[in-house]
Amino acid sequence: MKTYHVDFFVNGEEYELDVPANKTALNIIRDMLDLTGAKEGCGAGECGACAMIVDGVLINGCLMLAPEMDGKHFETVEGFADEKGNLSPIQQSFIDHAALQCGYCTPGFIVSATALLRENPHPTREEITHYMSGNLCRCTGYKRIIEAIEDAAERMNGGAK
Amino acid sequence: MKEFNYFAPGSVEEALELMKEYEGKYTILNGGTDVMIRLRERLINPEAVIDIKRIPGLKDITFSKKDGLYIGACVTCKEISESEIVKENYPFYAQAASVLGSQLVRGRATSVGNVINASPLADTVTPLVACDAKLVVVGPEGQREVSLVSWAGESQEERIARGAFFIFVRKVGLKPGEMAIGLKIPYVEGQKAVFTKFDRRKEVDLSTVCATVGKFNDEYRVAIGSCAPTPIRLPKTEALLKGKKLTPELIGEAAELAGTEVSPISDVRASAEYRVSLVKVAVRRSLAELSV
Repeated sequence: MKTYHVDFFVNGEEYELDVPANKTALNIIRDMLDLTGAKEGCGAGECGACAMIVDGVLINGCLMLAPEMDGKHFETVEGFADEKGNLSPIQQSFIDHAALQCGYCTPGFIVSATALLRENPHPTREEITHYMSGNLCRCTGYKRIIEAIEDAAERMNGGAK
Repeated sequence: MKEFNYFAPGSVEEALELMKEYEGKYTILNGGTDVMIRLRERLINPEAVIDIKRIPGLKDITFSKKDGLYIGACVTCKEISESEIVKENYPFYAQAASVLGSQLVRGRATSVGNVINASPLADTVTPLVACDAKLVVVGPEGQREVSLVSWAGESQEERIARGAFFIFVRKVGLKPGEMAIGLKIPYVEGQKAVFTKFDRRKEVDLSTVCATVGKFNDEYRVAIGSCAPTPIRLPKTEALLKGKKLTPELIGEAAELAGTEVSPISDVRASAEYRVSLVKVAVRRSLAELSV
């Protein structure tokens, strides 16, 4: 099978790989790099379990082809804690508010919330629900997730991580 | 996904050569939010996927009152919805771009891709149709501009003869070997328009009916989505309104007439009758907003 040479960064670490064309960025990050935070839910850009930040922009990792990764900077949930392993304010807030049950959607929610608070450190409730609408959760009913994000925004005091 | 060859050409010329080499067997990849789904579900099985995102110039957004707005093929809906130029001069277009899909999808999806898909309900298309926008395409015979306006009541043959872009559902007036590189959206001093999206839930849904109704000089333009095989303008309603001052009576008359010009179908999202009602509501509310 023909492969394509790609050179890219995930959470600041550089990777050089040969990847097939008919795989997604999500496949590569999960299966070749063993970073399994991002999940495949629907595989069609509807559920947000595969959310990742690419060159500063929030996207669905399931809708990007592997060869497109060349030269890009990816951020996934694995990159948000600091060097000592301290969780980011958003991660901590999700735990404190019990904003998860089964946890499958949680990495995607945390990635989207991180992108949101960078772009808009003081979002209203409506801005949160609009921005987060591409992430689905079938357990929590969303109330705790929204509260966790509101609380994280307060904790961060407007300063994006 | 089946196996295919991936190409990321560095120029439009290179892309056109690849399209010639793989004639009838290629897919152009832009934001990928539709194409990737079709690839993954094997609805399309191309031999070559031609990714146009590394071609310089296709990310351009430029504006002047004389030439209007230019949106390059690879400008995303997120970029359009956040662009100060667009928000200031075409706020209804920025709004349409901000309600397409989800934040995740808008980070990749493009307005040109939304046009090329030729779905009757495309969110970013009624603002373009209301503005008399043109799609800029290049092909073996050079560059040309194709009108995005299709009229209610027009046959497919008439659209083809006129050189329109939207012919029918997923059927467009592109010649073999042509690709879209951008959108030209004219500017009319003092233009004002209202974008409406009716959907079943507030976020991440396809439009049940979408509309852009605007005032451009002494002309009113009414562009409706999801009520015909293509997005359409309503010629009779526009003729009724032309040059007139909006009164409650005229607005009511225009809304009723608009309801007679559309020919929606019933589907999973709504019945035809309900869509007709929505068109009347959209036209009435939009004109009321334009009259203040």
